[in-house]
Amino acid sequence: MSRHLADAAKKFLLLGQCVPTVKQNATKIRVKRLELDENLLMYFRKDDFYYCHDPEKKCNTGDIVLIQALPRKLTKLITHEVKEVVYPFGDITDPVTGKKVAKERYREDIDREAEIYGKLKSGFDYNKAPPRGWQDGKKDFTSKPTYTKFHVFDENDPYAV
Amino acid sequence: MLRRATSLFIPNRGVNQLVKPLVNIKWTRPQAIPAYNPEKSGDLEGLPNIPDNSLGKEYSLCEEIKDAPESVKKIFSVGHLGKKEYNALVKQELMDRVKRHEYDERTAETRIAKLTGQIRCLQDTMEKFPRNAKAKKAVQEIIDKRKKLLKYLRQYDYKKFEWLLERLNIEYKAHPESYHKLTRKESLRKLTEMHCDSIRQSKLSDYRNLLESQQGPFLRQKLDALKFIRNEQMDLQLPITVTEQDINKVEEQLKEWKIKDELKEQVKKKKKNILLD
Repeated sequence: MSRHLADAAKKFLLLGQCVPTVKQNATKIRVKRLELDENLLMYFRKDDFYYCHDPEKKCNTGDIVLIQALPRKLTKLITHEVKEVVYPFGDITDPVTGKKVAKERYREDIDREAEIYGKLKSGFDYNKAPPRGWQDGKKDFTSKPTYTKFHVFDENDPYAV
Repeated sequence: MLRRATSLFIPNRGVNQLVKPLVNIKWTRPQAIPAYNPEKSGDLEGLPNIPDNSLGKEYSLCEEIKDAPESVKKIFSVGHLGKKEYNALVKQELMDRVKRHEYDERTAETRIAKLTGQIRCLQDTMEKFPRNAKAKKAVQEIIDKRKKLLKYLRQYDYKKFEWLLERLNIEYKAHPESYHKLTRKESLRKLTEMHCDSIRQSKLSDYRNLLESQQGPFLRQKLDALKFIRNEQMDLQLPITVTEQDINKVEEQLKEWKIKDELKEQVKKKKKNILLD
């Protein structure tokens, strides 16, 4: 019975968020769960972290992804694989209309507003913008966790704060 | 009585500390950098190049000043009007880089640009007057605010976030897991861990090299043996267990090994040459 349950649990899809990690051949996914405190009869947030196999580098830091347990563990650490990127981070599409959104407004509305006021060349153009990641490791240091600087090395690590 | 007995067997702490540490690790504490420093705040650029004789922000809109004599222009120039007017020009310069339209003042990118202008001006004052406590507090607050705005912008519009970093020449680093005071013990622990890791890696790579160097001779031996077995089986008209494919496979493996070995030796030679030089 318990074996059946374990097998069934392996087929579950989990929804989690990709978090920065130092590991190069795996992505770290945080799955938010609620845990019942039996004394208080209250639920508290509990985070589970899974290291996932992602050979094609589908997901970046911050993406909401679906993960599933591998039939067999790949390494001691890597137990799951990335199935699908559901919501890419910072590039949200409205599920009802299928239009791109920035915060609570449609991007086209924002563009239209600028057009009415008189668009300037200095403004940001979504159509010309390269896909995410062109500043990664240059000016945007978010793909790896930052830490407090603890020693003076010969090479300066940008992730040491 | 008991204490005397235990002290005989167990050396006390003072004696232990006299023993030399097994691992020779030198730790240098990183120098404390004030938070307003461009290095910490992530500003890769100083103040924009604005000449002293450029007109103040409001006065430059005036019609009469365009054909005014030099002396009048000098009176209304930034150099004469003072730092406040100069800072206004700095802010305007940075905001002009990212403006969507002419009346754009409250969107995220212009707000960040404006804050960046303020930060850079205040950083300049801090460089001149490092004991100005009011300015110090102000910069720190503005830097934190800008970081917060950048964090939000990253969440809802990643492409714009990256474009803005490029435009304003700012570095963005995520918050570390915890901000805490650096301790000697923590640093030494991390350094020791790194030292152990490097030892482990070097031992593993040595062992790997050893095994790989043995691979070639073994493959040659195997090839010879396989060929010999096949020939014998053919001669004695026994059922043939070694196929051509097996032999080809081993030959290919040997070829790959030879290529790898050559590359390795080239790298070794290069290293030697560098050392000799």
